[in-house]
Amino acid sequence: MRVLIQLRPSPDLVAAVADPSVSSMASDVADGLPGVVLDQSYAPVAVPRPMPASPGGDPLSLNQPLIFSMAPQDASVVVRGEIADDEVTSRIALLPATRRDVVAVYADPAIETTLTCAGDPAVGDWHDVERLLRVPDLTSEGLDGSGVPLAVIDTGINAAYVKAARGHDVTVDHERSWNPASVSGTPGDFPVDHGTMCAFDALIAAPKASLVDVPVLLSRRQGGSTLDGLLSDAIAAYAHLREVLDAQPAESRALVVTNSWGSFSPRWDFPPGHPGNYSDNPAHPFNLIVGSLAEAGADILFAAGNCGTQCRDSRCAFPDRPIVGANSHPRALSIGGIDTAGTRVGYSSQGPGRLTARKPDVCAYTHFAGSGALGDGEPDSGTSAACPVAAGLVAAVRSRWPATVLPPAQLRTLLRRTADDRSAVGYDHDYGYGVVDAAGIIAALRRRAAKAA
Amino acid sequence: MAEVLITVRLPAPATLEAAMRRLDLAEDEVDTAYGLVPVDPDRDLYVLRVTEDAGRRVGDSGGAGVADGGPYSDPPIEPYGPPR
Repeated sequence: MRVLIQLRPSPDLVAAVADPSVSSMASDVADGLPGVVLDQSYAPVAVPRPMPASPGGDPLSLNQPLIFSMAPQDASVVVRGEIADDEVTSRIALLPATRRDVVAVYADPAIETTLTCAGDPAVGDWHDVERLLRVPDLTSEGLDGSGVPLAVIDTGINAAYVKAARGHDVTVDHERSWNPASVSGTPGDFPVDHGTMCAFDALIAAPKASLVDVPVLLSRRQGGSTLDGLLSDAIAAYAHLREVLDAQPAESRALVVTNSWGSFSPRWDFPPGHPGNYSDNPAHPFNLIVGSLAEAGADILFAAGNCGTQCRDSRCAFPDRPIVGANSHPRALSIGGIDTAGTRVGYSSQGPGRLTARKPDVCAYTHFAGSGALGDGEPDSGTSAACPVAAGLVAAVRSRWPATVLPPAQLRTLLRRTADDRSAVGYDHDYGYGVVDAAGIIAALRRRAAKAA
Repeated sequence: MAEVLITVRLPAPATLEAAMRRLDLAEDEVDTAYGLVPVDPDRDLYVLRVTEDAGRRVGDSGGAGVADGGPYSDPPIEPYGPPR
């Protein structure tokens, strides 16, 4: 979290900061603040002290006539810094106690007003995403998704549409695809919708991956809306994927699972603290099976959700901490969204997560002109698009690095460690560890291969 | 009627019938189309979907249940896009 720290150093230091002919650095007035990374690019600013205009006025009240004193013994100095998101409360409480010159610590919120939101036009297109993901470099490393099953847990895939939109053949793995009991239809032949967008976006970085079509969100419940399923259907789908994984030879074991869905409301859940709760409970059967499948060798990615504070989806009903259940699972990657200009989209959910505080893990690209599966001229949007974009990158890696050589936990760490950090202190709840960085991943894999040789 | 999830541990090869016997569940209390779904084969852990009343009766959260766990919620899930 970015903060402003108000200090009252010695009067001669205040005078130096206030003197425009003297150049001052943040470290001159605030060096050694525990837990604070000072922004050295931000020159300290002298701030006048409000004082009652009339003798006998209340020295603490701002609701009276005031004069503002820049006298060195009255004025203070403000510097800018950053505190790790998970230390904010304790650091803010401790700073004035550990340093007598610290007067107060204030939030320094972003004042940008141009975050991409729902309804905004696309920012770039899927070829920009290809470029940002360095797909030619991935391909020259042999990282194109060849032989890697990529399960799209969604509304079903229309392979003919994806093929036409991409201009290349698409492989659907009929044998490994699976329908819930209430869903009939042929893998790769479902109506064009959200799942088709996800398939298209997953193939950007992994054009030769084999799509495993799992249309869980087409399952129907009594009184349900047009596109929703039940979590129990996802449990059954994951049980099927476990069989898929276990049937693979160990030396080539790989399965990437992309999930651009979640639970929007606590209404249908038991409350947090109840033993049957889903959102906050690692013992819920779905959270158990996610952990079990990841331990068996699958890479599981979940969209962080579209409940970002700047322009949250109207369906978001959790009052806070909207990254819930498996979308915040410790053995899955939670994916936030940025546009192709590199800025977080305003609807991308922010952490902390409910099962694991450090969610989202990383961000990937969304809100670009891509499949058009959501309608003519509609961008591929939501963290729904960011998740399969990241899953495609993981599938690309898996074409040369099976789970037995690079276990899912190590691959998750690799993605976090190589991510392009967007803060000064590492992890933050907007971007997580940063934006997925294919160049960093390629370099790390090369180092790993050289070490193993 | 809303349904809930319960978990049960059974030695392999586990069947829905064996689970229903273990939990003393009648056929109309169980979603037989859903069946008995393995959650963690390494721990012989399975899940089944049952009526709310049956879940309350056999789930372990009430203290006297014979199930391994539950009743657990079975909330609806929706696509995260496009944002509205």
